[in-house]
Amino acid sequence: MENEIIIDIRNLTKYYGDILGVKDLSLQLKRGEIFGFIGPNGAGKSTTIRAVMNLINKTEGQILIDGKEFLRDDTEIKRIIGYLPSEVNLYDDLTVKGMLDYHESFYRKFDSVEKTAKKDIHARRKELVEVLQLDENKKIEDLSLGNLKKVGIILALMHQPELLILDEPTSGLDPIMQNVFYDLLLEEKKRGTTIFYSTHILSEVSKICDRVGIIRKGKLIKVEDVDSLSDKSLTFVTVKSDQADEIAAELGLKIISKEDKVVKFANNISDDELIKKIAKYRIDKILIEEATLEDMFLHYYTEED
Amino acid sequence: MFKRELKVNLKNFIIWTGILLILFAAVFLMYPSLISSGQMDELDDMMEMFPPELLKSFNMDISGISTPFGWIKTEGFVFVLLITGVYSSILGSNILLKEESDKTIEYLNCVPVTRKQIVADKVLVSVIYIVAMVLILGVFNCVLLSGDDDFDKKQFWLLSITPIFSSLTLFSISLLISTFTHKTKKVFGVSLGLVFVSYFLNTISELSDKVEFLKYLSAFSLADIRNVITDRRINPVMILVTAVLFTIFTVIAVIHYDRKELV
Repeated sequence: MENEIIIDIRNLTKYYGDILGVKDLSLQLKRGEIFGFIGPNGAGKSTTIRAVMNLINKTEGQILIDGKEFLRDDTEIKRIIGYLPSEVNLYDDLTVKGMLDYHESFYRKFDSVEKTAKKDIHARRKELVEVLQLDENKKIEDLSLGNLKKVGIILALMHQPELLILDEPTSGLDPIMQNVFYDLLLEEKKRGTTIFYSTHILSEVSKICDRVGIIRKGKLIKVEDVDSLSDKSLTFVTVKSDQADEIAAELGLKIISKEDKVVKFANNISDDELIKKIAKYRIDKILIEEATLEDMFLHYYTEED
Repeated sequence: MFKRELKVNLKNFIIWTGILLILFAAVFLMYPSLISSGQMDELDDMMEMFPPELLKSFNMDISGISTPFGWIKTEGFVFVLLITGVYSSILGSNILLKEESDKTIEYLNCVPVTRKQIVADKVLVSVIYIVAMVLILGVFNCVLLSGDDDFDKKQFWLLSITPIFSSLTLFSISLLISTFTHKTKKVFGVSLGLVFVSYFLNTISELSDKVEFLKYLSAFSLADIRNVITDRRINPVMILVTAVLFTIFTVIAVIHYDRKELV
């Protein structure tokens, strides 16, 4: 029976010498979901992904794929993973065709043991090359950053993996290609592929992800459904009043900005309760704004420990 | 992967083998005119004036240089040993590390292949090229020397394959060193240093009995040219020691590479 949990990261800790990469990170990805892994640069996203892919050694912790510990030489697990690194580096001496042929050669030996009737790798490759409008005759060394990324995408997808691990996949792609790529991912999701999607572009998360994990300074600080995250009662309240300082002190909320008589703070109490609390003050103007998904993330990023 | 490795390393193999062939072709072309001028016998006479230790380091105490085959047994094989040694050392330091310096290891690591398989394919390709280089030079020299009066085919072929021992050892040491670093430049310098220090120790060890022990620190002593020339046989101990050293260094390299952080 298939495991409901496809990636199970248990207490992952990674130190580079004395420098912390990630600390005690535990995370589970459910089969078939698109999981957004979001955080600012240096938060530990790539460290987590590199630890999953066994490119770096874990200081502590365990990573299970499909219920089995993923050790670096486990080719059976490697076979079901499609990986796209943030920076695609391929063999410059090869053409795109040569590179894709080379990639195919690693999967040929598994053809006979395929349990499910899957589309031929070569046929899927042809489809992807066409969708992403790539010229197979070009040499890898002559490719632009965007086209190199396209090759990386094809390499990650063409063997029809059960698990896709994508590290900042849209960097270098133009907006049209980004949309083509999102469609490809949604198609993969329909097929049942699980997608671990690391990014710092917030709009991507609301567009395609089911759940999101927010990482900051090497620690996973929040895991939530994308829908419920946007529905959260966080609002931004701007008050103009001679008593702005007192209002801020009374509410004890996190001040976003303060200028003369105007104070803006992030609010997570209900509008009704808020108005009751500040009713005793003289207020010139009040603006209550609903937080966007982007505000939500910024709120978590900037929150003190 | 094996086929690709063969292809990727072919260009360097052709260049290095070409250098060796050109060097030997040039010497053989020069020899007839030197011999006919009658200068070679004078040269041999002159050589006798040199200190025996110096002559020994070029094997000139056991072979003259008045014929091309004589030259091969003396100076010629010094070049062969050094050039195949340098080639093997560079190959050993580069073949795994290049994937890291080009950052292509991130790709190779994610496809369904084990790290042991990666090392095995690269080692196998290297061994093929090292042996092929030595054999191609052997065939080339054999054809050119076959008309030579003092040409001893058996001795020649025994002599010709000896660089395989020193080269495979140097290759495996360099391969092992390369698993301890991420920077090609660093290991490149160390590997070249290794070849020249090794050669130096071998030469010094032949100068005096007091420092003879230094030969045990040199990969070139495995080639054991002097004994091949005098005994017309390869000492099986040298084959055994080469096999043991090559296996030990390669196995440690595999174990260490298996645990290495690749980016």
